[in-house]
Amino acid sequence: MAFPGSLRRQPANRGLVSHCTHHHIVVFLLTFFSYSLLHASRKTFSNVKVSISSQWTPSCLNSTAPELRPYELWNSNHLFPNAEEATLFLGMLDTIFLFSYAVGLFVSGIVGDRLNLRWVLSFGMCSSALVVFFFGTLTEWLHFYNKWFYCCLWVVNGLLQSTGWPCVVAVMGNWFGKAGRGFVFGLWSACASVGNILGAFLASCVLKYGYEYAFLVTASVQFAGGVIVFFGLLTSPKEVGLPELGADEDGGVEEDANRPLMGNDDADDDDRNYSIQATDTVNQPKAIGFFQACCLPGVVLYSLAYACLKLVNYSFFFWLPFYLSNNFGWKEAEADQLSIWYDVGGIIGGTIQGLISDVLQKRAPVLAISLLFAIGSLFGYSRSPNSKPINAVIMAITGFFIGGPSNMISSAISADLGRQDLVKGSSEALATVTGIVDGTGSIGAAVGQYLVSLIQENLGWMWVFYFFILMTSSTILFISPLIVREIKLLLHERRLRMLTE
Amino acid sequence: MGAVLPLLLPLLLPPWAAGGAAVCGRCPGPVRNGSIVAQYCASQAGTESEGRCCRERGARPERLLGLDLSDCSLHSLPPGLAEAAAIVILDLTENPLTPLPNGSFLGFTHLQHLMVPLALECPGGSNAWENVTMHGKSWLCQGQRNPCNSSGELAWLCPENAACAPDGPGLVQCLCDSPFHGYKCLREGTFPMLLFCGILGAITLSLSLLLWGTQRRKAKTP
Repeated sequence: MAFPGSLRRQPANRGLVSHCTHHHIVVFLLTFFSYSLLHASRKTFSNVKVSISSQWTPSCLNSTAPELRPYELWNSNHLFPNAEEATLFLGMLDTIFLFSYAVGLFVSGIVGDRLNLRWVLSFGMCSSALVVFFFGTLTEWLHFYNKWFYCCLWVVNGLLQSTGWPCVVAVMGNWFGKAGRGFVFGLWSACASVGNILGAFLASCVLKYGYEYAFLVTASVQFAGGVIVFFGLLTSPKEVGLPELGADEDGGVEEDANRPLMGNDDADDDDRNYSIQATDTVNQPKAIGFFQACCLPGVVLYSLAYACLKLVNYSFFFWLPFYLSNNFGWKEAEADQLSIWYDVGGIIGGTIQGLISDVLQKRAPVLAISLLFAIGSLFGYSRSPNSKPINAVIMAITGFFIGGPSNMISSAISADLGRQDLVKGSSEALATVTGIVDGTGSIGAAVGQYLVSLIQENLGWMWVFYFFILMTSSTILFISPLIVREIKLLLHERRLRMLTE
Repeated sequence: MGAVLPLLLPLLLPPWAAGGAAVCGRCPGPVRNGSIVAQYCASQAGTESEGRCCRERGARPERLLGLDLSDCSLHSLPPGLAEAAAIVILDLTENPLTPLPNGSFLGFTHLQHLMVPLALECPGGSNAWENVTMHGKSWLCQGQRNPCNSSGELAWLCPENAACAPDGPGLVQCLCDSPFHGYKCLREGTFPMLLFCGILGAITLSLSLLLWGTQRRKAKTP
């Protein structure tokens, strides 16, 4: 009988708590900080932009003032004639990074599933740290300034950094089952925000020694993180003989009540036997192909939805401080600090919505309701009065309803999709699917950065918000088939449960 | 013989002296008797003359004190003049010089006595000098003023972390204030490289060992 097996784990947290070992905690922390460090080095780049552009340009001259002397000290670097062009170039590097990151996500997910996740993650962290070291520190030490060299390094950095997300999500997906996944992943997706704070902190601590040391410190810490991951990360419970999570335990109900759940239950009941007997076959599961992964139910729809949602989410990250200082005339440092509230809202939103979706065992309806509120909060935020506390509150609410679902799609739902029942036979799909979802999202985000600047210049900020509302609505549109399906299943399940009682 | 010697001198001198010698051999003959350079050198102990130069005896690296370029048919300043930036006294009289470009004496911070033909004015304007007197057919410019201290039109503003310093007659430069250094004085202090590497290395090593011991030691590598 299928149901006792799947209902056994119904209360969201019991499954989580009963299975939690010190391995789980270490894996949670290691993956959390791995991704934090990757994000920290990105944040460092945006925080030292002023110093870099000042290093790359001669001292600004107004035509009346005589030139500053000595020449070597003030005017010898002519990579860019003035700060504006240097800023443009730095913005271009951001765009280059986002695109190569998006492309890299598609590739590194596939690579991650075929090679050892630990090696790929560790390699990605260490090599990207080296590239950052070359970019920021070595060129400065050697006084070698070259635009093309910088562009090439940043393309490579995007590709290498992209190994991080699919690998950490895959490892987390291996360790934390679907039962508590929404909550655990919601909490865990704070890693990006923590990384931002860490990066800003590290950069501000050593920036006075020169921008090259900001890069040196973040790159070294990231490299050290890669080494620690190499020696300490267990990619899956089966490595230490713990029961492997089968395909998601309750996934069977979702698909069809008729699907054989017996194999699944056996594995859970005497897991040790299972893992020992099956080592030969289970240890080399066939990784799923890219197109196969795309064809998994939900992958394309969630990817498209995430492209729209990540566009809005990243626009908030990138443009919020600028909007605040531009629209309300607040100081840049204050605007920077205030924009943290969006992150805070996102973390809380992701965790609470994850928890709700765990209890319901359905994620799409939670997303849809949250996104409906998001449209309202976007509308409200666009009309926020010129008052910092009120703005911060509405910002946190917007973060709650936009950042929350965004975090959920990129982590918990990606993991759900990669471990769904259909993949069970060839179980290494997690990183590939995560790569596809996040890669599509990143392309959306990259295009969005361009569109937002275009709309803002030509039509003004109000239209930017209308654009965000349009994108949020498209997200709802893309997940609506999934909502319909999940609600049907929810009703079906309830009917079946009533029949058995 | 007198004409040959200056040509040979650069070949005979050791390399460290070659820079000074080029300017000193720019004009034929030794320092002219009765010129201000000759008078100055005679008044200073421990000097010797070489071509048109007067320099400290035996000082390494060579330090030029005076340079006599008078009656040398110069239309403009010789290109190698910057090598003599440390000189105290310079004579440019009896040359058909055209007005000198601004900043010709960049770096001549020690220059205290300068004679230029009457057709010219003292470099940096008469405000840059303590004392400007007519001396026969030339001006004698004496005693550089420090342009950084002048409260007049040239209240010089240096960028952040830098301070004004004199850089020749009427010329200023901006040098980094004490803890600051590097391009545009953007850097402050030195990064504690050893401390950083030590701490990071120790943390990495101990965490790796700890995690390997508790996590991966019994792991079955697939």
